[in-house]
Amino acid sequence: MTDLLQPFVPTAADPFDLRKAGHLLRRAGWSGSLRQRRELVSAGVAAAVESVMPAAAVPPGPELLQEAIAFGDIEHVRSHRVHACLQSNHPLRERMSSLWHDHFATSNKKLLDPRSMALQQAMFDRLGLDTFDALLLAVSRDPAMLRWLDNDTNRKGHPNENFARELFELFALGRGCYSERDVVEAARAFTGWHVIDGQFHFLAAYHDAGDKELFGQRAAFGGEQVVSMTAARPESARWIAERLLRFFVHPQPSAEEVEALARCYTQQQRHLGRTVQTLLASRLFFSARVYRSKVKSPAEFVLGLVRLLGARAAPAELARAMGAMGESWLEPPTVEGWPRDMAWLNPATWLLRANFAADLLEGRRGKLRPAADDLVAAAGKPSERVAAAVDLLLDGDVTAASRARLLAFAARRAAAGPGGGAALLHATACTPEFQLL
Amino acid sequence: MTTRRDFLKAAASVPFASLLPAGHDGLWLPRGDDRVLLVLELQGGNDGLNTVVPLHDDTYARARLRLSSVREGALALDAGFGLHGDLAGLHALCKQQLAAVVHGVGYAEPDRSHFRSRDIWHTADPLHQRVAADTTGWLGRAADLLAAGGASMPAASVGSLQVPLLLRARAAAVPTLERAEDFQLGVVTTGGAADERRAALVELLAPNQVPGLPPEAAAVAATAAQAAAMAEKLRTQLQRYEPKADYAGSQLGADLQLVARMAIAGFGTRLFHVGFGGFDTHARQLPTHAGLLRQLGTALGAFAADLAGHGALARTTVLVHSEFGRRLAENASQGTDHGAAAPVFVLGGGVKPGLHGTPPDLRDLIDGDVKPTTDFRALYADLLGWLRIDARRVLGGDFAPLGLYA
Repeated sequence: MTDLLQPFVPTAADPFDLRKAGHLLRRAGWSGSLRQRRELVSAGVAAAVESVMPAAAVPPGPELLQEAIAFGDIEHVRSHRVHACLQSNHPLRERMSSLWHDHFATSNKKLLDPRSMALQQAMFDRLGLDTFDALLLAVSRDPAMLRWLDNDTNRKGHPNENFARELFELFALGRGCYSERDVVEAARAFTGWHVIDGQFHFLAAYHDAGDKELFGQRAAFGGEQVVSMTAARPESARWIAERLLRFFVHPQPSAEEVEALARCYTQQQRHLGRTVQTLLASRLFFSARVYRSKVKSPAEFVLGLVRLLGARAAPAELARAMGAMGESWLEPPTVEGWPRDMAWLNPATWLLRANFAADLLEGRRGKLRPAADDLVAAAGKPSERVAAAVDLLLDGDVTAASRARLLAFAARRAAAGPGGGAALLHATACTPEFQLL
Repeated sequence: MTTRRDFLKAAASVPFASLLPAGHDGLWLPRGDDRVLLVLELQGGNDGLNTVVPLHDDTYARARLRLSSVREGALALDAGFGLHGDLAGLHALCKQQLAAVVHGVGYAEPDRSHFRSRDIWHTADPLHQRVAADTTGWLGRAADLLAAGGASMPAASVGSLQVPLLLRARAAAVPTLERAEDFQLGVVTTGGAADERRAALVELLAPNQVPGLPPEAAAVAATAAQAAAMAEKLRTQLQRYEPKADYAGSQLGADLQLVARMAIAGFGTRLFHVGFGGFDTHARQLPTHAGLLRQLGTALGAFAADLAGHGALARTTVLVHSEFGRRLAENASQGTDHGAAAPVFVLGGGVKPGLHGTPPDLRDLIDGDVKPTTDFRALYADLLGWLRIDARRVLGGDFAPLGLYA
């Protein structure tokens, strides 16, 4: 293991403090209350990282999933996802599922099949921290995916290349790591991978059992072999390492970081859970370059604000707010997934975020007013109220420039009296720092 | 090489003055400076061969035993071609001499990936260079030139929540708009004092040049300052508008109506993008494609009628294109796979009506796909010329215009 991935060891000069606990919960989860963050600081970094890992092998709440399926509309399935993220105290499972939903982006806009979408999410929950091989095979047999990329029309003599192309281009290898010939041959191997009554079926009569030439090897490959051969390519290790780094660490990982994590992932036999745990505990993850280096997605902004404030709102309402900001779960815009980082933010989406924060703090539009408002209002002098708001939303860490502006805001008459605490928290949520992950 | 940090620094240092009303926006613009271009992008790869249908081409009929059924009911354009029967709204515009069709638009060495081909159209860079954080789009570069000339909000994306690559600019602030009414800054109202809180918040959001903000935060701060300034401008300038056409309630119609409102108000925004998705018809294409084209024709018809009713059609042009056409041969799923060149539409703005360019020869294909007969950048050059924007600076080279305008 290289230095980058050595465990982070706190020192007096670089302690595991509220900032780092907040960083861990933002990246590996959906933020957490001030109390939870303080508990993690007391527990120390190793226990903190351990605490975000799933506690049990089986995802919780299958009965809620069944209920969402029974209601049969996509809003319910989406609400179920939001609920799962909000209530989880071991949030990495749901966090990984959100990554895989983006990575294997499948949209109900085409499928119009909430049941298959719900089952795909459940599959991500189950396998998102397993080996990439197991995940990729399950994705390749997933009914929602098979229909999304038209593999249910891929038949011997009439191949449909859509799934094979995206498997290489987006899911497992990246452009330039395969040939057009590989796409054509892989498509033949997936012929007959079909969906009947919402379930995967292998239809031998539709399958092309002839020899295929893939990555320079020739044999009568089936889809399973294409998946395992693809996952085992060294290019795939780099592709997945880069993806994990962009998600957990930095929007532009360095070549050295990609190599280091690809090596770790290969040594861990492509086990995602062990790879991610190593990454989250690492020096790299807690380094200055990584801290607040990403822009929050709408989900990270909305769910994070709700959890930081201990606010309450109907999951369906939160899902709609995220959708308006451009992140409607279960409906990614393309097979490429969602945009990232600064692409989320422009004047219009910034306004939606600021207005969501105002609505949440005031209990407007189906939200319950959080008690945090009163805590900040009760803190006394402007500087103490600013400190309380910054502790609550920004782990006590804000640039001098932003703190000065917040102090000027807190000193005004409009920031005192009824609603004054909420107004100050709203202003804090409007600082540039609060948009960063 | 420009790094992401450089890009963010550049984004953060947009002079705030460029966002303030320049004093000669809108109705008081010099002649020719009030022209508006809307790029309407059919996303997913529209089947050009079943949109502008070759009526008597045996090669087409043989390659598409099922899908060539659209020839029945096609709306004739000339002896050889007809519009898909569900494009009645667009066909009416052709009959009124308000629309042009350009055959076979594309680029050499077609890329059949949605994303790469879209990026090529958006950047006007067919060299397939990797898109980086500082990559700009062709309309974004045009917006930069307008911003350098004092325009306050030269470009906007409508309907999408992310600025598409073609509008990515270096200096111009490009917002996305959904409903003009949503574009306001909300505040906490408990205890009254809403106006004072808004004023205090605007002060908090004012752009700053304070050193010490990390580049990411500086870019966010610049966005927030732009948001506050634009919210105020939109709120005050979009008041008066009476629609003169029925947009039929579709999302596409609503997006086009917002563009029409801003064009009619003389808001000063001159470059727009609207996306319309769902054209990736790999399977069971006929009903899906017909439904999409019906929405398209209806929305475009309403848009043109609304603008004409307000006397704004002559200064508004719409380009309708897709990232690629589809393969000549239909597939076994009653659909079509990713292809190459396809026809585009140019509407309004005094365009020379009728069919332009050379129809591709369907017996002379490139890997089963239609070969381009017109480089898409020549089309861009026409549109930029009409907008009186320096095409050479936007496209990075000289492309002979097609002569779509007198």
